[in-house]
Amino acid sequence: MSAERKTRIVGRSVAKSDGMELACGAPLFCEDQLPPGCLHARVLRSSYAHARIVSLDVAPAEQLEGVAAVLHHGNVPRVMRTTAGQGAPEPSPYDFTTFDSKLRYVGDRVAAVAAETPELARQALGLIQLEVEQLPAIIDAHKAQAPGAVVIHDEPDARVVIPVTYEPQRNLVAHVDFQVGDVEKGLAAADASFDREYSCHYAQHAPIEPHCALAEPLANGRLRITTSTQVPFHVRRIVAQALQWPVSRIRVIKPRIGGGFGAKQEVLIEDLVAFLAVRSGRPVFLRLSRAEEFNSRTRHPMHIRLRTSVSAKGELKSVDMNVLSNTGAYGCHGLTVVCNCGSKVLPLYRWDDIRFWADVVYTNGPVAGAYRGYGATQAAFAMEVQMDEMARALGIDPVQFRLQNHIRSGETSPVFQALGEGGEGVAQNIGSNGLAKCLRQAAKEFGWRRRPRRQSKAILRRGQGMACLMQGSSIPEVDMGAASIKMNEDGSFNLLVGATDLGTGSDTILAQIAAEVLGVEMAQILVTSSDTDLTPFDVGAYASSTTYLSGEAVRKAAKTVAGQIRKVAANILGLPVRKLSLAEGQVVAADGQSLTLARIGASSLYEKDQNQIGAFASHTTQKSPPPFSAHFAEVEVDTETGLVRVLDYVAAVDCGTAINPALAEGQVEGAVANGLGYALIEEIKLDERGRLRNGSFREYKIPSTLDLPKIRVILVPTYEASGPYGAKSVSEIGINGPLPAIANAIFDAVGVRLRQAPFTPEKILAALKAAEQESS
Amino acid sequence: MSLPQLEYCQARTVEEALELWAKKTKARYLAGGTDLLPQLRAASGTQLTLVDLKQIESLAKIGQAEDGAVSIGAAASVAAVAANATVRKRYPILSDCCLSLGSYPLRNRATVVGNICNASPCADTAAALLALDAIVVATSTKAKRRIPMVDFFQGPGESCLQAGELVEEILLPQATAGGRGHYGRIARRKSVDISTVAVLLSVLPKGQPRHRLSLLSVAPTPLRVFEAEAVLDERGPEGASQAAEIARASCTPISDVRASAEYRRDMVAVLTERGVMTLAQSMGG
Repeated sequence: MSAERKTRIVGRSVAKSDGMELACGAPLFCEDQLPPGCLHARVLRSSYAHARIVSLDVAPAEQLEGVAAVLHHGNVPRVMRTTAGQGAPEPSPYDFTTFDSKLRYVGDRVAAVAAETPELARQALGLIQLEVEQLPAIIDAHKAQAPGAVVIHDEPDARVVIPVTYEPQRNLVAHVDFQVGDVEKGLAAADASFDREYSCHYAQHAPIEPHCALAEPLANGRLRITTSTQVPFHVRRIVAQALQWPVSRIRVIKPRIGGGFGAKQEVLIEDLVAFLAVRSGRPVFLRLSRAEEFNSRTRHPMHIRLRTSVSAKGELKSVDMNVLSNTGAYGCHGLTVVCNCGSKVLPLYRWDDIRFWADVVYTNGPVAGAYRGYGATQAAFAMEVQMDEMARALGIDPVQFRLQNHIRSGETSPVFQALGEGGEGVAQNIGSNGLAKCLRQAAKEFGWRRRPRRQSKAILRRGQGMACLMQGSSIPEVDMGAASIKMNEDGSFNLLVGATDLGTGSDTILAQIAAEVLGVEMAQILVTSSDTDLTPFDVGAYASSTTYLSGEAVRKAAKTVAGQIRKVAANILGLPVRKLSLAEGQVVAADGQSLTLARIGASSLYEKDQNQIGAFASHTTQKSPPPFSAHFAEVEVDTETGLVRVLDYVAAVDCGTAINPALAEGQVEGAVANGLGYALIEEIKLDERGRLRNGSFREYKIPSTLDLPKIRVILVPTYEASGPYGAKSVSEIGINGPLPAIANAIFDAVGVRLRQAPFTPEKILAALKAAEQESS
Repeated sequence: MSLPQLEYCQARTVEEALELWAKKTKARYLAGGTDLLPQLRAASGTQLTLVDLKQIESLAKIGQAEDGAVSIGAAASVAAVAANATVRKRYPILSDCCLSLGSYPLRNRATVVGNICNASPCADTAAALLALDAIVVATSTKAKRRIPMVDFFQGPGESCLQAGELVEEILLPQATAGGRGHYGRIARRKSVDISTVAVLLSVLPKGQPRHRLSLLSVAPTPLRVFEAEAVLDERGPEGASQAAEIARASCTPISDVRASAEYRRDMVAVLTERGVMTLAQSMGG
């Protein structure tokens, strides 16, 4: 294991490389780049939860002056595939085609129009005549597998492309079941056992920029797609699949994007602009309206039954987690999200016996997909609330209880081997682990158990809660990130990465890593990212992978380039390579001689042994080292109104080395705010016909800064030997904390357990009332 | 955002505004526009004229009117009213209600008169204006009339204004100056959110009744509960729970995506009682 070295630029909060231009309003987003003559697209969407198209007459729309193309199931080839932006072959079922003759949720695609203006496109939609046969709809996930339930995917060509359970005739998208040891025996034999049910709800990512994409036919027969995506290379592959084109005819560019949070790990609209551009021979732009964005992708609602047992001394014994996950009308990310419920939550503690089993079902509700946390959010809620309940039942402090049971460095969990991306996972031993430090430092900073408590009869009652978390860093043996670096004659470098900066700052931290290795300042590293023609491959921004995986690819490429530079310098200076090192924009020899990088660059390009200094590097991993985190929250519950005020929040996180501490803290603060919204106010509600009741910012509220407590973030440094400069991931883990920490704090305040999120005033009052009736 | 076909005119005087409105087939008066513009999205496709009132100098005023009243002009922003020294001194409850509306940028744009004309059951400023016996001064090409606040609202989005009638100002009478109040407001978040339920309880130094109880978001219109006010006048803080029960019984809330009718009713009682207790404490202390 390489020891921690002193670094110059890694570990420093350098300014975000695109910060100034974004703040100044430079035209960097997709919609800023519309070419003259660009057509505008709109989508006709189903207003039925479940229906079969009987007839569709688009002629009046086609005849409208200014309409360039109308697409529908009758004129677009049927190619079954998934919208999930995952590595190929995808673990998500092929249950989707560009347009189908069946409509499976309110919002499903019926037709798409490209016209001279957005208004004309909308007008054209109104001229389309649609006649349907309505079918019974399943809104409640519990009813999806009832005998005689309507089959949502009855098309014969729906299938999976990896060997996993898929039974659409039973509305079953995925089934997972693994067991280590004997859980039933372990539950029965222990001193105490617990059996509770939890549920989590639909929520939307609410990125500031909705999905938007521009497709431009090029003179050479190719198509250029500029899109707000987390996965440009998957967009290229999946659009090629839909068009039945070779990948080589498509170029995908990701400009600056206004947030994704998982919603854009989805090829949601790129196929539409591509088809419309090909049909019309003109550039086509589509931006989803906010109403469409609310119905684009959501978090998977889940019901979780969690059974655990523990010895009187507080040693965890057996765990049995059973999940029912609702993926909505299409199965994108259905299997992998549910696998994450187990794989990112169960290894956190040492268990003798483990069972994890789950069903993922279709319903006619909104389509669930990737959302920050990716299943870990839902399962951590169940686990950490139950941990609190166990600790209290045993009379052990919840912090102590976690310290006693959490996984240690050097240990493994059978879950790593058992649960992967649908199939088996990859065994790993835990490397860096700062969880104990996180717990102690956060507890101290927070003042755990040292705060004044209000009287139990008061109207406003305060309580404290905490939770422990883990996530992963990339998908082992699946994800790949690559980088290339070339040197210019002034000693600057072009760093090309496939990695996707979705506002997270990955362009900045990848440049920091390159600058560190090459011994130059940030200004010398010119980053180009996410262009499938120019940059090397990268799976994209998901699974908390960019820093850990793409960062290591950058480090490797930079190391190779540094070696080449030293070689050129050695030739010029007549010294052995091993006596030379890179620092402060120079190559420095042990004897004090030095050469500037500009001198070396100019020499290599113009003078002697002319040669482009440069290198490619790729990185994959056999590990997915978990970041760890401890969250503490204090709330005040108004027992008359049911309102919960979050007074204080401390989050300590072990993300290995924070390449850029300010950006890492920002990720944690954002994730906590995101999670507080999910815990307290955010919930997509459906009516009985499957329509969104609150699909607008008027009715769907996300927290404002005024609603947030001061979120104190503590970065607990550890060194993950397998990551670049010791780094692990940080972007997702923080969203998993608020649900359980707030639920536990509410219990501490008023003595009621809330197991159905979100914790709305009405639910709190109902729980208080029930508790009162029980005690009287 | 896609809007209907719009014609935009700026009026320089009230007379000109009234004339412009009368001349056009379909016209709306425009002040802050914070309610109007979102509504126009739904009206996509129709031909509409907007008559902007913001350049009419006389309407921007907040200040003394006859009989010691304070006038709030139709173009006075919610933020300006909230910050106005006279309002803060003499009608602090109006200032409080103003500061609960929307957000900073929204309050800079929105007007108090517009908030009333929109006639939403959750109009924050209506709670205070009802309590203060405000007078709405409306003008048409034919006549000028004074409408007591309590008669102004007719239903959700409906006021007693006639077609083409323009609210020039709202008058806050001298008689209700100096009151203090407690504005209990439940919403999902602290800014840019309409109330789920809101209760303003105020006490005036003089006048009949001295207690004023206004409810928002629990009936087709903002509501005064006179019966509860009488109880409080008679019994003082001891009448709190009786007043709360009367308030609960007099509202007719609906269940919607924000809350159930039952929760709203319960909260009317809770917030009413809380208002009485808070005011009693602050007066005692």
